[in-house]
Amino acid sequence: MDLREDALGDIGVVEILGRIDSTTAPTLGERLTGILGARKALVLDLRQLEYISSAGFRVLLLAAKHADAAGSRLVLCGMSPKVRQLFDLGGFLDFFAISASRDDAIAAVR
Amino acid sequence: MKKPATLVYGSDDRPPLGVTVLTGIQHAGMNAIFLLFPLLVSREGGLSAHQIGDVLSLAMIVMAAATVIQAYPLGPVGARLFCPAIYSAIYLGPSLAAVKAGGMPLVFGMTIFAGVVECALARILPFLRPIFPPEVAGLIILLIGLTNGTIGVRNLLGIGAAQPLTAVDLTIGLASFAVMIVLNVWTKGLSRVFCGLIGIALGYVAAAALGRVGGANVQALTEAPLVNLPGFAHLGWSFDAAFAITFAVAAVSATTKAMGAVTSYQKLNDAAWVRPNMRSVSGGVLADGLATVGAGLFGSIGMNPSASSLGLTTATGVSSRRVALAIGGIFALLAFLPNVAMTVALIPRPVIGAALVFTAAFILVSGLEVITSRMLDARRALVIGVALVAAVSIDVFPAFFAGLPTGLRPFFNNALAFGTLVALVLNAVFRIGVRRRQRMAVDPARIDADAVHDFMGAQGAAWGARRDVIDRASFNLTQSIETIVDSCAPEGPLEVEASFDEFNIDLRVSYTGAPLELPDRRPSNEEIMASEDGQRKLAGFMLRRYADRVNAGHKAGRSTILFHFDH
Repeated sequence: MDLREDALGDIGVVEILGRIDSTTAPTLGERLTGILGARKALVLDLRQLEYISSAGFRVLLLAAKHADAAGSRLVLCGMSPKVRQLFDLGGFLDFFAISASRDDAIAAVR
Repeated sequence: MKKPATLVYGSDDRPPLGVTVLTGIQHAGMNAIFLLFPLLVSREGGLSAHQIGDVLSLAMIVMAAATVIQAYPLGPVGARLFCPAIYSAIYLGPSLAAVKAGGMPLVFGMTIFAGVVECALARILPFLRPIFPPEVAGLIILLIGLTNGTIGVRNLLGIGAAQPLTAVDLTIGLASFAVMIVLNVWTKGLSRVFCGLIGIALGYVAAAALGRVGGANVQALTEAPLVNLPGFAHLGWSFDAAFAITFAVAAVSATTKAMGAVTSYQKLNDAAWVRPNMRSVSGGVLADGLATVGAGLFGSIGMNPSASSLGLTTATGVSSRRVALAIGGIFALLAFLPNVAMTVALIPRPVIGAALVFTAAFILVSGLEVITSRMLDARRALVIGVALVAAVSIDVFPAFFAGLPTGLRPFFNNALAFGTLVALVLNAVFRIGVRRRQRMAVDPARIDADAVHDFMGAQGAAWGARRDVIDRASFNLTQSIETIVDSCAPEGPLEVEASFDEFNIDLRVSYTGAPLELPDRRPSNEEIMASEDGQRKLAGFMLRRYADRVNAGHKAGRSTILFHFDH
């Protein structure tokens, strides 16, 4: 897994490349917590995400909880149909705020 | 069958009578052009104008019967689809050769022989499923579109015509083409449904108004009687063993085209289509073979399902089997009204060309969709790629193939038949060495995440499996190994076995260690966040839910999970 980070003022943008599994999830969790502590919103771009396991979903849930507690917002965007199907499978489509594109996600948190 | 959203009227729907009849007229108008083939053979056979009228009348009655039987099967005969029949270009070459050697009786006799060969092949088709995988079916659909498009361009531009087309002819053809596109893309309802008919009609009227409709044929039209009871005096049958191979080859070729056409009609009618229904294909080919027998008995050349109608059906969205009854009725009526039939046959070539190009576009895309729905490794890519190049080469280098021995020419005189044959042969050859069952051992101390992730992908491509099903199997393999290693303390390697046939993908993971929990209920978000146990329950829930069937067992310290996926 690789992370590409960007910032637009108070909005952090993280693009996740590759796979989120039990090996890579802890690294992602630490990074998301760090960004959410420093920004008012975080956009997670999942365009290049190939696979996400239950460990990855747990990290995203914890990040969302952290965002709520800190009064910031977390928005996911750019899901491929394959990854979207996994979110559906795990019952997460209604839980997370999801936008079609990065631009839409940024507009949603502004 | 699940009716696709693109169809206005599906196979078993009952459109209003007006829509049924007008759609029937549209198809009849397009398919009447193929009466040209028995007409050409009859002229070559030296029949009188009156006898040629009889040939055309009887040919239309056979077309009517063949179209109806495909839609409304009798026993095993028929595809149970709206799949109109036409006279096939595949039989034109052999029939012209036969008529020179033995006159019309030899054409009719050998046509019956070819039909019998096709009927025999139809009966063994259900056993040939492995040599006819979906991507080959997709290629055949693509080739039908390509062939139709090529014939369309030839007619639209007047390539090879006895008299070169003028700028007026070309303008009429292009205007017809534009009308069809505009009505199909930017309108809804009846104007979309009848876009082909309206385009053809406007083109025909414009051509007639500008004096561009047909010469000597118009004279024949004016001389034809209003009503004609077809005669049988020209009928007679003979058999010549010297032509048996030629007509048998044509029958094989017609069989492959019928297989592809019926498959295309299946896909058109079913949003949930994933593979050819071989029972329907077999019934369709059997009906096609019997239609060819009937054509021989009543004095015509061999038949095949109409690819032009396939495109028109895709474009208009009317695929009701009741339209077959309308076409049957129209041709049965026209059989007794020779001048009306000739009027239809006089539709200017550029106008017919426009309709063929227009409909070919839809068939081409449909074929591409079928091909790309499957994962393709190097072998399968070669099957599709080489067969496509082979098919195209028939039209690009006709002189080369014309120089081949006479007996082989039926294989090489039709791009669709040759491309299909190459694909079927290569597919059979490349099946050698592809394992239906593959194993992998995973060391829990040193997991190669890439190898695990790529395992199902590589197998899916080798098997030509559906991409969506392989994605699910790949997730279950990766997630199950991850969870077993994290929570079941496996001793020694995990053994993975994946197996495939066209209907099933089974994935078995076995290891020495505690069994994996596969709950029916999703843990709450709070449970998932609270501990890694919640995360494991989520994994088990997703694994159970993603597979179509899961079996888990634990015996003598050894745990096994079987994930089954319908394919």
